[in-house]
Amino acid sequence: MRAVEGAGAAARGAGPVEGAGTATTEPATELPWHHRHLLDVDGLSAADIALVMKTTDAMKEILARPITKVPVLRGRNVTIIFYEASTRTRVSFEVAAKNLSADVVNIAASASSVTKGESLVDTIRTIEALGAHMIVMRHGTSGAPYLAAEVFSGSVLNGGDGWHAHPSQALLDLYTMRAHLGDLRGRKVVILGDVLHSRVARSNVWTLTAMGADLWICGPTPILRGFDAWAARWANGRGPGGHAGFTVTSDIDAALADADVVMALRLQRERMDAGLLPSLREYAARFGLTRERLAAAKPDALVMHPGPMNEGVEIAPDVAVLDRSVITEQVTNGVAVRMALLYLLSGVHAGGFPEGSIGG
Amino acid sequence: MAEMRVGETVKLLEISRAWLVDPVAGREGPGEVVVRDGILEAVTWLEGDEADAARAEGGGPGGIVVAPGLLDIHVHLREPGNEDAETVASGLAAAAHGGFTTVCAMPNTTPAADEPGVFARVRAAAAASGSPVELLLHGAVTVGRGGERLAALGELADAGAVGFSDDGSPVQSPVILRNALLYLGMLGLPLFEHVEDPALTAGAEANEGYVASVLGLKGWPAAAEVAAAQRAIAVLAAVLPDAPAARLHLTHLSTAGALDAVRRAKAAGLPVTCDVTPHHLGFTDEWVAGSRRWAWEAVDDDGIARDPWADRAFVAHPYATSCKVNPPLRAAEDAAAVLAALVDGTADAVATDHAPHAQVDKEAEFGLAANGICGLETALGVLLAAVAAGRLTLARAIEALTTGPARVLGGRPGRRGAARGLVEGEPADLVVFDAGETWAVTPAALASRGKNTPLLGRELPGRVLLTVADGRLAHRDAEA
Repeated sequence: MRAVEGAGAAARGAGPVEGAGTATTEPATELPWHHRHLLDVDGLSAADIALVMKTTDAMKEILARPITKVPVLRGRNVTIIFYEASTRTRVSFEVAAKNLSADVVNIAASASSVTKGESLVDTIRTIEALGAHMIVMRHGTSGAPYLAAEVFSGSVLNGGDGWHAHPSQALLDLYTMRAHLGDLRGRKVVILGDVLHSRVARSNVWTLTAMGADLWICGPTPILRGFDAWAARWANGRGPGGHAGFTVTSDIDAALADADVVMALRLQRERMDAGLLPSLREYAARFGLTRERLAAAKPDALVMHPGPMNEGVEIAPDVAVLDRSVITEQVTNGVAVRMALLYLLSGVHAGGFPEGSIGG
Repeated sequence: MAEMRVGETVKLLEISRAWLVDPVAGREGPGEVVVRDGILEAVTWLEGDEADAARAEGGGPGGIVVAPGLLDIHVHLREPGNEDAETVASGLAAAAHGGFTTVCAMPNTTPAADEPGVFARVRAAAAASGSPVELLLHGAVTVGRGGERLAALGELADAGAVGFSDDGSPVQSPVILRNALLYLGMLGLPLFEHVEDPALTAGAEANEGYVASVLGLKGWPAAAEVAAAQRAIAVLAAVLPDAPAARLHLTHLSTAGALDAVRRAKAAGLPVTCDVTPHHLGFTDEWVAGSRRWAWEAVDDDGIARDPWADRAFVAHPYATSCKVNPPLRAAEDAAAVLAALVDGTADAVATDHAPHAQVDKEAEFGLAANGICGLETALGVLLAAVAAGRLTLARAIEALTTGPARVLGGRPGRRGAARGLVEGEPADLVVFDAGETWAVTPAALASRGKNTPLLGRELPGRVLLTVADGRLAHRDAEA
């Protein structure tokens, strides 16, 4: 979350990433990266984000080579533990770690002793005893990675926790937007759909407002709950330093008008069962991203979706396959961003939290 | 004093250059007290030049303070059933360390105190502890606190119950609530209601609002408390024609809306009382995000909550489960309303809702961790911090910990009666603390088995030097 003050910035034993394929024995270059963990994006400065973007550029170059494997994390154990079902994110992390030559251990929580009632703290200690240097964790409870970070002596990378944060997703979304639009200052970005239950939306609020985008959050009022309070707090420049305010509305026409980016979020059937919304049909009719609605956006507006999609609900099938849809590009960029994050985190000193600081 | 042990009668104690607070006499000022053979032999109020001289020598309200022993009408001592979290003995030791000489234990033990047999067990544990702190007992309203059938209310009353509550849960059914108020009205005893609409709090994790939104925690709306408070008051009004002695006490109120409801009910003459906790007036929901500034420091000059992210107010990890409590820590505006209600008398008492938990129940994901904050040992310090900040008078703080809660208990305020003053000739029952000296809240410093407080690592004002209950030593500071 927030930076560990006083932690060394040196990337221990990690060479410059440009030469990563061959030059791991070269003298270490210090990277201005001060975070031992990546638990949230709220503590990332604009410079931190720029470094992730730059490092991702280098990883994209590696991915363009005939052989995409580099020995940067050779001998490092990356343990991936997912307490929630996920294919896309888990495989993306696994591919990223393997591209960097890490030893990867995959734990599906349902198949582990978690089902026997082992506590998260016990599980993390066990993973550490088995030799993990880094943990990538997905958990259904907001804040769970912070608990893991308190007991684990290596680095924890949050692969998504509850409704709270999905840092690697927000960073790959940002990378994808910048690849097409460059500087995002003043660019209108619309996040459309179920933000209440969305860690993707929360993390994107932090990264996009840090970049100065004109962020709009849109959906039916029951699933915007809490975001009004958030936007009100940040209005008129009263938010955290460097973060722009954002707009929350249930007026989809106002939201989509002249948008540069439209990101639709998955709407789950469970929301109807909980009595939050009348029906998927009604949602699709009022808030589904269709060609007709998209016509109000800029002609070349990007269409994004973190997946998995409910085609015909939050996004029309013919919109998902438009030329300006970058949904599969998001997946490709996800591997590069996760390689960059694993690389950056691997270089930070292990050990306890420095006195008087908090794990960032 | 040097060789005295807990439980022994205080042979001789002379305190001079002290600031005396007597909420019964409505008086505070410099003075001296003498305790001999357990009896409060002399209370001397200094006047004129003598008083000025005493103040000049450090005998002011910022120095050594002598007040009547404190009374907490809402604690959880966990015995029987969860002795890993607390026992009667450790809970009474914690009370004494906090300056309390009387505590009222809630009945949500395992088994619940829904019949007198559980009372007997708890009283035996209290006797065995040797503590002179008086333990009063609340009975359950319904069998097993299940909310369906009335507990043995009359038998529990005969066994000495001072009040009745299903605390931990509300009495969900308005029909059962009505019937319990009618029956307890017949017995002349108060019903302590934990006001919460569980349909609005299913799965809730933190106060609904800005902080919970940013942290992705499921919102715990103020409306769940406000709606339940309004409903309980409406049910009370409906039973009064049949049960004029019915009394409703709403415990641990945390929202401006519920306190407004009590304010209006009192103005209308309804027999409603309420208490507030130190944590709901001193802490806010931003503590869940890692801030530790006092509630009165978390609002701007217009009374609007500040932004802890913008202020970089974080000094602790976010999602600390020591901040997870029911009702949840609220927004700074609600905390300010809680303090205002204490100042204006809408809140009759401060109660700690002391809720110790074993480490295993707190060392978990935030959403899965147990609710509760330990309060017996830090209540005085939190109130003194508010006093030091000019938000509360010392006299009102002491009143809310002595005569206020005694009035809530009505006809059964314990062996000391409702008049908790500094009365000569009675068994000494008092607390001596140094308002000018701080102490460090550390696990080792806490007598409670529960170490679950977000104040750990912090210095609090008001080190308790001595607690005397019923003429006997209950607590003495190691350095005093």
